[in-house]
Amino acid sequence: MQWSDLEREVIRCIKCGACQSVCPVFRELGAESTVARGKVNLIRAVIRGDVDAAGAGFEERMSWCLMCKACQENCPSGVKLDQLILAARRKLAEDKGLPLLKKLIFRLGLRNRRLFDFGMRMGPMFQGLLLRPAPGGKGMLPRLPMGLDMRRLVSPVDARPFRSRVPARVDVAEPRKTVAFFTGCMINYIYPQIGEAVVEVLKRNGIAVIIPAGQHCCGTPVYVNGDVPTAVELARATVDTFAGLEADAVITACGSCGAALRKEYAALLAGEPGYAAKAAALAAKTKDFAEFLAEEGLTAEMQGLAATATYHDSCHLARSQGVRRQPRELIAGVPGLTFKELKAPARCCGAAGSFSLAHYELSRRINDHKVDDIAASGAELVVTGCPMCMMHIRDGMNQRGVAGEVLHTAELLARAYGVEK
Amino acid sequence: MEQTVVAAVKGIVGAEHVFDRFEDRYCYTYDASAVTAGKEGMPALVAYPGSAAEVSALLKLANEYKFPVIPRGAGSNVSGGSIPCAGALVMVLTRLNKIVGIDRKNMVAEVEAGVITAEFQTEVEKLGLFYPPDPASKAFSTMGGNVAECAGGPRGAKYGVTRDYVLGLEVVLPTGEIIKTGARTMKCVAGYDLTRLMTGSEGTLGVVTKVIVKLLPLPEAKKTMLAIFDDMEKAAETVARVFMAGVIPTTLELLDNIYIRNIEAAVNVGLPVEAEAVLLIEVDGDKEVLDKQVGIIEGICREQGATVKVARDAKEADELWVARRAAFAAVSRVRPTIIGEDCTVPRDKIPEMVRIIRAIADKFDIIIAVLGHAGDGNLHATILTDERDRDEMARVEKAAEEIFRATLAMDGTLTGEHGIGLVKKKYLPLEVGEGGMMAMRAIKRALDPNNILNPELV
Ligand SMILES: Cc1cc2nc3c(=O)[nH]c(=O)nc-3n(C[C@H](O)[C@H](O)[C@H](O)COP(=O)(O)OP(=O)(O)OC[C@H]3O[C@@H](n4cnc5c(N)ncnc54)[C@H](O)[C@@H]3O)c2cc1C
Ligand code: SF4
Ligand code: SF4
Repeated sequence: MQWSDLEREVIRCIKCGACQSVCPVFRELGAESTVARGKVNLIRAVIRGDVDAAGAGFEERMSWCLMCKACQENCPSGVKLDQLILAARRKLAEDKGLPLLKKLIFRLGLRNRRLFDFGMRMGPMFQGLLLRPAPGGKGMLPRLPMGLDMRRLVSPVDARPFRSRVPARVDVAEPRKTVAFFTGCMINYIYPQIGEAVVEVLKRNGIAVIIPAGQHCCGTPVYVNGDVPTAVELARATVDTFAGLEADAVITACGSCGAALRKEYAALLAGEPGYAAKAAALAAKTKDFAEFLAEEGLTAEMQGLAATATYHDSCHLARSQGVRRQPRELIAGVPGLTFKELKAPARCCGAAGSFSLAHYELSRRINDHKVDDIAASGAELVVTGCPMCMMHIRDGMNQRGVAGEVLHTAELLARAYGVEK
Repeated sequence: MEQTVVAAVKGIVGAEHVFDRFEDRYCYTYDASAVTAGKEGMPALVAYPGSAAEVSALLKLANEYKFPVIPRGAGSNVSGGSIPCAGALVMVLTRLNKIVGIDRKNMVAEVEAGVITAEFQTEVEKLGLFYPPDPASKAFSTMGGNVAECAGGPRGAKYGVTRDYVLGLEVVLPTGEIIKTGARTMKCVAGYDLTRLMTGSEGTLGVVTKVIVKLLPLPEAKKTMLAIFDDMEKAAETVARVFMAGVIPTTLELLDNIYIRNIEAAVNVGLPVEAEAVLLIEVDGDKEVLDKQVGIIEGICREQGATVKVARDAKEADELWVARRAAFAAVSRVRPTIIGEDCTVPRDKIPEMVRIIRAIADKFDIIIAVLGHAGDGNLHATILTDERDRDEMARVEKAAEEIFRATLAMDGTLTGEHGIGLVKKKYLPLEVGEGGMMAMRAIKRALDPNNILNPELV
């Protein structure tokens, strides 16, 4: 894409400044160049020839975006800010190339599922070289400055990925529906227990689950970093794997994976012969776990839980996919549970995938507001629909000494069904 | 700017509150108006002072080294008031963001200049009090910027504008002295009324650092309604009739079909997209009198051929307001560049003014949408165009001038709330005359002998 192609979108920004009241990055950094209006106008400046896109300043400012879409939701002119920033990042990746580590992971690792799988399986062995256990046994900290902030607390890669723990098909007697489960990387490698909870809850409610073994990463991490060729390859692989399946729906349990399958693939695959229609069919079939369950209705009796819970809206689940009401309905349906809304449930938690790796300090500051909100709510359980948010909020609560557990909606339900955890 | 000056600025506000990188400075070359300074008008430095003392030190430095200073709040003004000139220091006041105090007993509040208007209102309303000025930009514009522009808003019909609530100010003069104007009392006639002089001075006579405002009791209730017209003239005429019937609505907003359609596309709250015009009307006050007022207004609207929908609950009313606030930017869907004029005429001249605006649009073959705080005669003729089309921009310029002249011929004013700024600078003499210009220049010279503050505006 040429810079000049972006002009039509860029000049739709009337510079009103409304995005100042919602942009989490601007809230922390305060400089006009960090708010949506500033970023759009920097792109406009590049088009005009006023600003050099090759300069480090421009690249850094384009990196200061969580893709949380709060600006877009609030922008009265409907400026597609995510498309603009993505186009800028893509251009930067094309012109300047990706940093070595990202290139290695994206190009070599992600493009080859077997190698990626192998790498992630070896992870538990090798991560000891790269990561050191954090004091207090709460996770791992990076040993080397490999593009991660040295203080970033990451969850260790699980020794046994989810997909190697479950059969490719989980049947139930007289299924009401059959769904295919897109697991995504975080669930497969880091939080297999979420995957298990998803399967368990569906199973109890009479839903058969297919878990295609050949599935791979959804591509969001490479897409948001501007590596479009790799993202296209991953999108094609997902479409191929899921298109022909005999399933009533494709289920995701991660905000970002869902957004990719439902929204981003259409754009990524628009120019790929034979793929546009397939991508559209997959998009139409894909549903978030909570959305699907709320629609189907829970049939199995719950034991219930005596606790107070609150809910964090993942940006990609709430804003990209419009799933807000359904998880709340499910939580409210748990006998014995008290639900407390956060003051600003849809405020970004600051994780944003690789953003929190590249800008750890900033992502922590953004997260602090979320943690303050959680502390003020007094809830013991923080429920959300995105594993990335879970990791980041957990890290924040730990660092700030705020008590409470962070759970995926599926895990909460599994617990309410009395599944030991 | 010399390195010694840059170092001095950093010394005053702290290096972390100064931006000198090209990309950062570039983002202060625009505001919400259609003009920008571009690369040629790049500010040399951007500083965020943290106190009046720091503002003062910066201004003294500016006088010593003779560089221009451009005060800035949220940069949401639409008159080009915060556009810098080459070599200027942009002074952003948003770090001064404390609500100093809300005095419930005396119904006054004191805030720093960088406080966001809507955030202040929320705090005030928690105590059962009310700060009426409500520019549609209130979610992001600052109190200091509101004072500098004397911002108005939809509630102006009943409650007036910012000026009507400012009791006193803390201002740093262009030469660096920190002064206090007005008082915390409801009455104050000590000396010249510097508070009023500063309010609406668009950042040319001083930097506002604190604002003391008067508050009202929060009205007990309000009712919002939408009157739908298939004839623009009838809608415009209804405005004066409502006031003549002895009812003062809080708000009387007029929106034409272009606005209606685009707002609906933006926020989807069920506005009647076929209607030629709508009036968004709100009344507030004691519960007992509301129904009576609504009845009178409904009657007048029906006489004028309108269908009237009264919002049933707070949620419905809120939706109408979300729609109204989205208006200005929603029309950017039609053409990418929007220029919002805010000519204001005596209320009874509104139908005529609407007619003239439409005729001018036809004459110059451009799109002009009409939105108005019709309750106070303030019409936002909104020119929808494309900044890349030079030919059309030339016609836009001519059309705007005809609108200004027509407004003045009707005893109106060039601006009801947006300010003169860079955008209307050349037309100001048309309204105030040579004598008026002379008086204003004399004041500017007296307070700002080195022409430091916003020099391009005067
Ligand atoms: C979508 C939208 C809707 C709007 N609706 C309305 C409306 O309904 N009514 C209305 O009146 N206006 C409206 N405006 C215009 C604008 O919001 C107001 O003029 C507002 O008061 C500007 O505040 P600001 O903090 O953004 O100031 P800025 O735009 O940053 O500055 C405005 C002017 O004040 C000066 N200034 C800023 N802060 C200070 C200070 N502390 N001391 C001295 N000078 C200072 C600047 O130099 C400049 O000349 C709207 C704008 C937008 C984009
Ligand atoms: S809200 Fe939209 S139109 Fe307004 S400044 Fe931000 S991006 Fe531009
Ligand atoms: S997507 Fe979020 S972080 Fe990025 S500019 Fe918009 S509001 Fe700011």
